[in-house]
Amino acid sequence: MPRVFVVAELNDGVLNDLSLQCIGAARAMAGADGTVVVLLPGTGAAAAAAPLNAPGVAEVLVADDDRLAAYTTEPYLAVVKAALAGRPAEAILLPATTIGNDLGAALAAALGAACVTDADGVGAEEGRPAAWRVGFDRKVRTVWVAAEGRPLVATLRDGAAEAPAGSGTAAVEALSLDGAVSQTPCRVVRRDVAKKTVNLRDAKVIVAAGAGVGGPEGLELIRRLATALGAELGGTRAVVDAGWMSADRQIGQTGATVRPDLYIACGISGAIQHRVGMLDSRTVIAINTDPNAPIFRSAHYRIVGDLKVVIPKLLKLLGA
Amino acid sequence: MPHTIAVIAREVWDTRDLTGQILDEAGGLRPGALQTRFDPEDLNALELALRIKDAHGARVVAVGLGAPRQVEVLRECLYRGADAAVTATGDLAAADTAAHARRLAGAVRSLGRVDLLLVGTAVPDDDNSLLARHLAAELGWPAVSWVDAIEELAVDRVVARRAVEMGYEYVETPLPAVLAVGVALLEDDPRAPRPAKAMLKLKMKKAEIPTVPATDEPAPLTLRVRREAVPPRAIETATVDPENEAALRAMLDAALKGA
Repeated sequence: MPRVFVVAELNDGVLNDLSLQCIGAARAMAGADGTVVVLLPGTGAAAAAAPLNAPGVAEVLVADDDRLAAYTTEPYLAVVKAALAGRPAEAILLPATTIGNDLGAALAAALGAACVTDADGVGAEEGRPAAWRVGFDRKVRTVWVAAEGRPLVATLRDGAAEAPAGSGTAAVEALSLDGAVSQTPCRVVRRDVAKKTVNLRDAKVIVAAGAGVGGPEGLELIRRLATALGAELGGTRAVVDAGWMSADRQIGQTGATVRPDLYIACGISGAIQHRVGMLDSRTVIAINTDPNAPIFRSAHYRIVGDLKVVIPKLLKLLGA
Repeated sequence: MPHTIAVIAREVWDTRDLTGQILDEAGGLRPGALQTRFDPEDLNALELALRIKDAHGARVVAVGLGAPRQVEVLRECLYRGADAAVTATGDLAAADTAAHARRLAGAVRSLGRVDLLLVGTAVPDDDNSLLARHLAAELGWPAVSWVDAIEELAVDRVVARRAVEMGYEYVETPLPAVLAVGVALLEDDPRAPRPAKAMLKLKMKKAEIPTVPATDEPAPLTLRVRREAVPPRAIETATVDPENEAALRAMLDAALKGA
């Protein structure tokens, strides 16, 4: 695949690290003869772009503009199209985030390109760009390919490729935005978005709380268990939305994807939106009152019981 | 004048808790291995539309694609309070999300003035892309994805709450617009989405559902080349009796080894 283009993502001035996995996937897709170009749009992009200069990257473009502060589709789409205008690509990769999936699909629609969102890998099939996704309750891998002569836009889930190590030799250039940032019909009137202060991805042990903790009192028990184990605290979207935990501790589809050595799920029923974020944990202990909770299907140890009874027993055994 | 709200209603594979072989030897879906259901996020989108109708008055029209397989999702919409339903037709077997969007957009245009088009955000297992974005491109309307509430609705604009990775954003967009609705909307409300009503079932059982034929058969841009079986994740689950202290201790010892 000669030319692969990566649209990296900036969240409040911080580079989304799935962008680096996209570069890893792009390098593999481009092969020895191909080129990889990376674009980082967003306010503060110039200051955050250095890690994108990875080995094998031919060009790093930044579109640093105040009009790109909060994501809305149209201005971002205009910037990506402007960058692609002089740099046609057979494949365009983005992180599979709420921004990447929206922008990727919009870009595909605008370019008349093939599109695979939430892909678990990319490659080639008979010389054409291809992407696949594991679905059907993780039982089936579906492979799609771009129609003849069409580019492929794919958004990549966490784990689709390795992030490259080391730094490259590409210059970081500012993309000329003259007129490219169009008027947008949409406007972000208010944001209620937390700053990320913990990185759950590096945690070896995670104790996670679901709606079953019932409230701050139940959560205190979970906290004590986490402290006793030297673990990070995590939770489901329900717990974050209830205000019991900060958003950077959320695990699942719209939160972090984690792979700790030990994951203890407390009062988590295990909706697929949560399970996709923790399925690859090495050992999973699940505590739930409902013997049929879906979380037990992903658990190595199944404890049917009230966490308010079970956790104090664990704390006692841990000498806490 | 009250808003007209179109809601996309898809019949999708129910891929929760699948057991046994799903694929046949040729990589096709094995007949009988899968059931269908009303796309849960489309059902949320319908509920959102019906709540707007309850609060402000609105005309709600369900828009489907193709003939029903196991669940008559459009009739299910009528039984819950939608005022009308239409279905788009066309050769669906080889179609991709972009082609689905072209057909559905044709059906939406056939309704005359539409202020809001609501659709689930999730991409069903067999689909390749985010339908809402392709619908927005076909219609030339703005779109907001991962909406889980409507904060404000005026004659000519809407403020939608959009769920993002670290919280929420409130996005204002002029109408007409496409809103892609997430699953979070109703999770905290045990009464929702509302069930079918017996009275509406009687009334709407024979209601006519007009079809809007496809005007063209666009060639798919994204081609599915194959499906492959993924080996099952072999997780051996040991049940630990919380009353058995020795068992709990053994579990902790084993789990913490190397952690």
